[in-house]
Amino acid sequence: MMNDNVVSFFSDSPPYQMLNEKLSWLLNFDTSGMLTFVIYFVAAFVIVNVMALVGGLGTYAERKISADLQMRQGPNRVGPFGLLQFLADGVKMIMKEDIIPKTSDKYLFFIAPILCMVGVFATLAVLPFSSGFTLTHLNIGVFYVLGVSSLVGVGIFLGGYSSNSKWSMLGGMRGASQIISYEVPVTLSIIAMVLLGGGLNFKTIVGAQGGMPHEWFIFHNPFTIISFVVFFIGMLAETNRAPFDLPEAESELVSGYHTEFTGMRFAFFALAEYVEVFVVCGVAAALYLGGYQVPFGLSSMEVLHTKIGLPMAPAKMIGQFLEIGGFVTKTVLLYYVVIWIRWTLPRLRVDQLMTLCWKYLTPIALFNLVGVAVWIYLFNGESMWNLVFKTGAAAAGHH
Amino acid sequence: MPAYNLDVYMPVVILMVIAIVMVVGALLVGKLLRPHNPTALKEQAYECGEDPVGSAWSNFNVRFYVVSLVFIIFDVEGALMFPVAVIYKKFNGIGQGGLVLASLLLFIGVLVSGIVYCWKKGDLDWVKSFTLESYHHDRDQAQAERKTA
Amino acid sequence: MFDNFLFLSSASLTIVGALAVVLAPNLMHACTYLLTALVGVSGLYVTLSADFLAATQLVVYVGGVVILMLFAIMLTGGNDNKSVNKFGIEKVAPMGNAKTFTLAGFSAFVMALVILKIIANVNKATPKAEMAPYETTVERIGELLITDHVLAFEISSVLLLGALIGAALIARPRRREQ
Repeated sequence: MMNDNVVSFFSDSPPYQMLNEKLSWLLNFDTSGMLTFVIYFVAAFVIVNVMALVGGLGTYAERKISADLQMRQGPNRVGPFGLLQFLADGVKMIMKEDIIPKTSDKYLFFIAPILCMVGVFATLAVLPFSSGFTLTHLNIGVFYVLGVSSLVGVGIFLGGYSSNSKWSMLGGMRGASQIISYEVPVTLSIIAMVLLGGGLNFKTIVGAQGGMPHEWFIFHNPFTIISFVVFFIGMLAETNRAPFDLPEAESELVSGYHTEFTGMRFAFFALAEYVEVFVVCGVAAALYLGGYQVPFGLSSMEVLHTKIGLPMAPAKMIGQFLEIGGFVTKTVLLYYVVIWIRWTLPRLRVDQLMTLCWKYLTPIALFNLVGVAVWIYLFNGESMWNLVFKTGAAAAGHH
Repeated sequence: MPAYNLDVYMPVVILMVIAIVMVVGALLVGKLLRPHNPTALKEQAYECGEDPVGSAWSNFNVRFYVVSLVFIIFDVEGALMFPVAVIYKKFNGIGQGGLVLASLLLFIGVLVSGIVYCWKKGDLDWVKSFTLESYHHDRDQAQAERKTA
Repeated sequence: MFDNFLFLSSASLTIVGALAVVLAPNLMHACTYLLTALVGVSGLYVTLSADFLAATQLVVYVGGVVILMLFAIMLTGGNDNKSVNKFGIEKVAPMGNAKTFTLAGFSAFVMALVILKIIANVNKATPKAEMAPYETTVERIGELLITDHVLAFEISSVLLLGALIGAALIARPRRREQ
């Protein structure tokens, strides 16, 4: 198989081949297609459940961290340290009465949360957890994420529109215009990383980086550091996180585009938001922070199998788990920063938001793009550390 | 039978279906658990306790429209730049990087000139500023109109 | 197996979505149907192994054009399901009379003949026996944009510049003159 993903990971193993043979013999046709579907389905199901858990724990983390920053206790009644609070919230949500305003547009009211969920969940397909345990390494990776996540903007707008409430409508309009505006600097920053990585596939981009921080793209050259900052700010705005939470500004718009949504419908908007934050943090980690790369090549077969002497199959597994650990650590750290920012910075005004996007971030992102392109041309794609080492070595050799 | 193996797109479809099933399923299951006794007050749109006056579907400011128009143009530029960005490293490796860089810079240059134009003309301002100059301009025109009338 | 499923589902999404757009009396609903049709078209691109084009379809049409349409509808005050606007004019204009329907039917017939003529050649081509590995089209597009079609690439930026200035001009508030 060309693509290195969950299916190829499993189909290399002997039990799979044995099972495939048995089934093919039993059912009288080639069952590898069916097994592919089963593996994909199980993997997708697992990832969706883990992500729902991440979304739930995200709300818990948000409340706990905000409490920490404000010297409060936060949720501490349900379960140890209040860890099961999100489950209690979920039960509460599903028991809530489902109220749809009489003046609302029923069809759009139904479709809006679905669009948000579909847009966010579809991006999970390419999120590179590790080199083997990714659902699929599409050749259009990053660009695909940009494409499907734009469904969320439509969902937020329709959520605001369908409620037929002034606050919701304002929130929806703001949300959609904010999301599309900040997509411009984000896209330009991503293009700069694609220049460095030489591919849209997450595997290519992550593969071009290394495990140690000086091999990450963020520290590749001075422009990429600025590029990361631009990407991070744009990412906050695209996921409607503070200080860009104007679509749901509770002090001015009640709760913004989801004011009229009750119970599970609201829960899906919230879940979509928290999972989207995780996804974009993951994308940031993959693009800038070396993704699933582990320092010293610890996860590679070379070290685990040849040097340490582990047998083939466990070495492969341990390598994958190390990579997942690396990826999740980076993503969760970014997630923490996102929450931290929310409880630190005050909200922007609409005109400040637009000024920041069009007059600061977009020109800076364009400048970065040109800078990265010129850097690659001038120094043949070498990172600044390599250049420093080289000149250092040359100087040492001179004397 | 198409000539390509599309299995890599299977998870995309699976995830989309799971998302839809999740929402619809949770709403259906919830139907068994949740109470249902709507009243006229409950079904009103919540507008801080006030009775809603008129529909929320009213004319919106043109600037939202302008933002999305400008966005589409940038979007298309991005879509055109992605393939060129992908091959840049490869071309640089075989000594053709200057060619790609030149065409990329030209492309971005034209784009930048557009932004500069919009910036100078004040199209990037969210709040169209009310300057003393524009005030005088409007006042003079109004006076001229009154004189002719 | 999955190829057939993907093709059938995207094709039906496209056709049903497009039909719903035409038949929907509500503009906002029509926009969501258009969304399904556009997603279906992107699925069709995937079955043709034009993966980059599929993603572009999503990025530009779903993310840009549909939102632009939604904003354009809001510019006119949205659709409050009244068939008569505040000037007493019917919003949904009558779709035509016998003459226009006849003309439309005739042109549709001619179009169908032309398209069938084109498709006939495709059917004559021998189908490949084995499934080739999936290959990316991005690099091929990039190479062509830089070598054979570099002029088109640069001219398109000028076209987009024109569009940008045009968009800005249309939206600029005009001073009262004369």
